Amino acid sequence: MILSIAKKELTSALRDGRVMWSAAIFAVMLIASLGSAAQRYADISSERAAAQEIVNAQWQNQGEKNPHAAAHYGVYAFKAVTPLSFFDTGVSSFTGVSIWLEAHKQNMAEGEPARDATAIARFGELTGAFTLQMLLPLLVILLAFASFAGEREQGTLRQVLAMGVSPIRLYFGKALGAATAAGLFVIPVFVLGLIGLLLVPGGVAFLGHALVVVAVYIVYAAIFLFLTLAVSAAADSSRTALVVMVAFWAVSSVALPKAAADASRLIYDTPTSVAFQKAIAADLENGMGGKSLDAIVAERKEQMLKLYKVDSIEKMPINFQGVVLGLQEQLSNAVFDKNYGQLYAALNQQKGVFETFSVLSPRLAVQMASMELSETSLGNHIAFTAQAETYRRNMIDTMNKALTMNSTGANPEYRAGPELWAKVGVFDYTHPPLTQLLSVLGPSFMVMFLWLAASIVAGLLAARKLKALAA
Amino acid sequence: MFNIIFNQELRVLSTNQTWWGVLSLLVILTVLAALNGNARFEQMTTAAAKLNQDEVITQTALQAGAQRYDSNPVGDPPAVTSPGNVGLSLLGHYAVMRHDVLAPLSVGQTDVQPYYYRVTAHPSHTFFSASEIQNPLTQMTGSFDVAFVMIFVLPILIIAISFDLMSREKEGGMLGLIAAQGVSLRTLILAKVAARALILLVVLLALTALAAFLAGADLTQAQTFNTVALWFAVVVGYAAFWFALAFLINALSWPSVTNGVVLANLWLLFVVVLPSIVNVIAGTLYPAPSRVHLTTEMREATEEADKAAAASREAYLFDHPELAGAGGNMDGFYVQVLATDAAVEKVVTPIMAQFAEQAGKREGVVDFLQYTSPAIAAQQALNALVGTGNSHFEDFTSQVERFHGNWRGFFVGKIVKGERMATADFDAIPKFEYAAPDATFTRQTAYSPLMFLGLAVIVLIGWAGRRYARYPIV
Repeated sequence: MILSIAKKELTSALRDGRVMWSAAIFAVMLIASLGSAAQRYADISSERAAAQEIVNAQWQNQGEKNPHAAAHYGVYAFKAVTPLSFFDTGVSSFTGVSIWLEAHKQNMAEGEPARDATAIARFGELTGAFTLQMLLPLLVILLAFASFAGEREQGTLRQVLAMGVSPIRLYFGKALGAATAAGLFVIPVFVLGLIGLLLVPGGVAFLGHALVVVAVYIVYAAIFLFLTLAVSAAADSSRTALVVMVAFWAVSSVALPKAAADASRLIYDTPTSVAFQKAIAADLENGMGGKSLDAIVAERKEQMLKLYKVDSIEKMPINFQGVVLGLQEQLSNAVFDKNYGQLYAALNQQKGVFETFSVLSPRLAVQMASMELSETSLGNHIAFTAQAETYRRNMIDTMNKALTMNSTGANPEYRAGPELWAKVGVFDYTHPPLTQLLSVLGPSFMVMFLWLAASIVAGLLAARKLKALAA
Repeated sequence: MFNIIFNQELRVLSTNQTWWGVLSLLVILTVLAALNGNARFEQMTTAAAKLNQDEVITQTALQAGAQRYDSNPVGDPPAVTSPGNVGLSLLGHYAVMRHDVLAPLSVGQTDVQPYYYRVTAHPSHTFFSASEIQNPLTQMTGSFDVAFVMIFVLPILIIAISFDLMSREKEGGMLGLIAAQGVSLRTLILAKVAARALILLVVLLALTALAAFLAGADLTQAQTFNTVALWFAVVVGYAAFWFALAFLINALSWPSVTNGVVLANLWLLFVVVLPSIVNVIAGTLYPAPSRVHLTTEMREATEEADKAAAASREAYLFDHPELAGAGGNMDGFYVQVLATDAAVEKVVTPIMAQFAEQAGKREGVVDFLQYTSPAIAAQQALNALVGTGNSHFEDFTSQVERFHGNWRGFFVGKIVKGERMATADFDAIPKFEYAAPDATFTRQTAYSPLMFLGLAVIVLIGWAGRRYARYPIV
């Protein structure tokens, strides 16, 4: 019975010009955005890889230098992209693409693409994720809003129910039919996208991510499908069902995310960049834990004089200036950890406001999951900066140690060369494993699950109380 | 007859719950958006005031140091008397853009483009690349401001109250009854639309005045009044477009439900799809030069210049001038810094010019293609009117660029001549004064989008009028 209902629904959907046009436009837009994503991935990943190679070569071929001068020269870390980064660009237009790694400083990423865009970019970027988040729900609403209400208006609902068809079966039949109709357009595009992913270099590694992304969007479509069916069953006319669902879609997908953004800014403050730099400068000046750098250096000097049993730093068998630089780095690292830690905590609290708002907006929950899996979320950006910083600290540490051990009284003109530069290694971003990405998505998955469960239950309740005739 | 129907419609609407719902939603959202926009700009104003305070404190301290030496010049002159040390390292001048009093109505590019720069005697690219700390998540999502309510939400509300304007009368069988009374269809439609438009017009006028008032605008000032009036005209033109579109769709005599579906799709097309396509077109035709490329080029140039400098000076001291021995003459060092800066600037300037050129061309594409969608036209006009479009930020940047020339010239002249900073010199350091673009000129940028909206409304209504002439009433 469910199958024959589904078949009828599918047939009528395929005969409906409105639905077919909407579905065809949707599929074309999705394919176009996936195609442009593949192109952008090819361009940008090779550009970044080339740039990283250039700066690596610049580092390696910088010639003979005092290691500390090399530390000041530093290197750049360029942000890695994945093929999915262009399916869902997430926050990547608003985050920098490279970080300068140099002595004494933890720099912020620079070169946000958004500064080179026109104001209309703020309407939204045409990506696969955007198409799915904005257009897929509308397609589903169009497919399903008339399911019950339309039949009631035509009088066919009374006939069907009089035949003894249980409303619950009718409900699942209609759901299956509408889902099949939507699937006819969406699934081939998904398959096409997955094949495309396997064809781009390095794409295979992200197949798992892509499958979860596909699942997320299927759940998203299902939420809208069951909600629309519930509204269609409960509404007094198909007109009302349509208005209610379009209004819900507009408010939850367009207005609520913006409300979340502003609420997060008003609830949790982030410092201005000037205040942030000032706080860092103050901490560097005063030291951490009540001990200034001068005090730490003096203490270490005493220790080392005792250790080497000499009476001046010039007589030490090592370069004490290198030790001072190391101590300075230790202090500044602690200061950066504290200040960046506070900043990131504030940013994450703001993100929490988005997660709270997603309880009211399924799009927000889906958006958070989609970005995370595409490695274009706030968390992914912070992970990149953290890896770059780890690399920087190791680089500076290597330089300081070389200075300490080699630039001694016996060899004051010490110059390091390519062997030392090579010791630092090259910056190579390690992508987080899929399990790690999934682990931060608990809240989003929970919200999506609740929406799905609630919409199915709402549909069941509405179907059970199904009225054959309009009031 | 028109009056009778018109009055009747007003009475009917006054008891219609959907209408009340839509209007109260519009009022609530607009007020929230206005307050929210104000909160953002208040935060910015406070932050800017803090910057200037900090700068005054720094400069006063430096000047005091110079004064101590001036009044008692014993021993080596302190660092504060070195123009290189002051202009290249100790002091920076915050050049702040003063936002228009109406800016909270449309945040526009404010959250992406910097509204202040810390000007130093180094080349301008060193501070132009700096940006304010923001959560990229909130930037991505955009701001909930009055312009958003008008551009995104208002059309949905208009669609909700007008998608079944005629189709419902027809479906309910009323159309035949009314026509039997000898009422012409044209009169009926005009009266229905006029009643709705009048109510919405009054509400929008009140909301615009309220939003301007909340932002702290003084409407008795002619310039402000004219800008607000033009803003209102754009909003009304945009609203009229959606009314006219609903009017036309109703003229096609489809069922209510089809009207709703078609209008929802048109909203999606004009407000979501077309802007993102135009964005892709502009970005593809005139892409920004690669920032990644800029980074590697800059580095190459810096390294070359540094090598040249290092050849004549100990590299280690170069990085740690403070270790060169207290009281040592640093003038030579700063001359070298200037040389390095100049070498890097020579490489960066043409790339930066390319950035500006491509950005200008992109804006040109958008200026042209904004006529594909009333939403783009409205956004461009509203941003321009309140000074939050890209062009205002470009203007600010070029003002800063010019100012930077003066500021830098002041210090470079002294560094090269080997002069010292005396007490009086600190008072002579140039100060940035932001000059807002001419309001009359700014308003002109809104004229062509406004004309476009007007033209679109006329075309739609004309088209609909012809269709209504053949409208089947049963």
